[in-house]
Amino acid sequence: MVSKDLLSECRSLRVWPAMLLLGVVVALMFAMQADLPPERLRQIVGGLLWLTIFFAGTLALDRSFAAEREDGCWEGLLGYPVSPTCVYLAKLTVNVVALAALECVLIPLFAILTDVPLVAHPAPIVTVAVLGNLGLAAVGTLLSAVANTGRQSSYLLPLLVLPMVIPLVLGAAEATRLAVEHDFGPDWWRWVQLLAGFAIVFITAGIVLFEFAVEE
Amino acid sequence: MLETTRSRWLHDCLGYAVAAVMVATAIAAIFLLAPTEETMGAAQRIVYIHVSVAWMGLAAFVGMAVTGGMYLFSRELAWDHWSRAALEIGWLCCSLTLATGSLWAHAAWNTWWTWDPRLTTAFVLWAMYSAALVLRSGVEDPHRRARLGAIVAIVGLLDVPLVIMATRWFRGIHPKSPHMEPAMRVVLVISIACFSVFFTMLLLLRRSQLRMAEMLEDLEESGN
Repeated sequence: MVSKDLLSECRSLRVWPAMLLLGVVVALMFAMQADLPPERLRQIVGGLLWLTIFFAGTLALDRSFAAEREDGCWEGLLGYPVSPTCVYLAKLTVNVVALAALECVLIPLFAILTDVPLVAHPAPIVTVAVLGNLGLAAVGTLLSAVANTGRQSSYLLPLLVLPMVIPLVLGAAEATRLAVEHDFGPDWWRWVQLLAGFAIVFITAGIVLFEFAVEE
Repeated sequence: MLETTRSRWLHDCLGYAVAAVMVATAIAAIFLLAPTEETMGAAQRIVYIHVSVAWMGLAAFVGMAVTGGMYLFSRELAWDHWSRAALEIGWLCCSLTLATGSLWAHAAWNTWWTWDPRLTTAFVLWAMYSAALVLRSGVEDPHRRARLGAIVAIVGLLDVPLVIMATRWFRGIHPKSPHMEPAMRVVLVISIACFSVFFTMLLLLRRSQLRMAEMLEDLEESGN
């Protein structure tokens, strides 16, 4: 199912180009507005980066089930000879890959536009990005299945997901800020633990609740 | 049938009377019993209502998720009536928490809004309640609406401790353990108890309305 979704996206290029373009445009607009001294920029760049990832990433999260609905594949998807948990984990994996692709573009772009050394020490930023991706994709995949069963899916998903991921956006933004300032003390670890906890809680919740979300 | 209707009517009237007495008691205690605070003056009385509605907002969220979980377990719409009633009462309480919190902030700190952890948590809860209301408004099938509402309620409840942790790690200016005179503490307890009874009565009334609406729909369907 993961290879089917990735292959389908590679052939049709329906979602990822739009997601990347939206991310680049939002990043440019944020950078344009954030004309601040370097020390102030270091403090806010994490928040701007993660808000951009959220807004652009929501496109990919929404399309993970909307495309199945539109193309009449929903029944086929539910008819797969696998448990709903496998469908959830497959969709989650595809969304994590999509968010990782988005970050591969946005993190260097923010580093260039703001002159903040986001890629000087990649390991801590990659740790934050991986945990943030897992958390965002875990909540987003489950709620995308919920939102796509109603008649107002296109605007409902951000409305449902944004309040839920506030701890994740706060945690990722703070961990990114501390990583940029080379402060890897207890505060950084506390935020990383929050991100890991968020990912574990919501992947477990997704595994348990997904079958209720896709029931017909 | 007539006896049942009369008994229900009497039952509802008793409920309204209890709710009215409770609100009157809380207001009387707040304005007549509680001493005036030295620094903030009369504006400090907001805290008695603020704490009461904030507590009810959080309790309703727990109730909404628990009854939602019971619906998923049993598939009986009666549980969803509880869940939906809790959602609506919780939304009302959260809105009142934000309004009274904002009034307090203006009186205490000369600003209408601060990113204080508890106010931020109330705001996040309000946003979750609002999203759940929008979700429910877009689904017509009652069982599907109940199922999706239950999922969002459970996910939201799992998120609440993480929201509290994340917002608390930012430095806040909310009084952590405000100093209160014994008389003030008594009034606070009276206010919390009275408003809890009042909102519980509202919850029971709304749940009863939802149950009757469902019965009416069933009757209409069987008539057709």
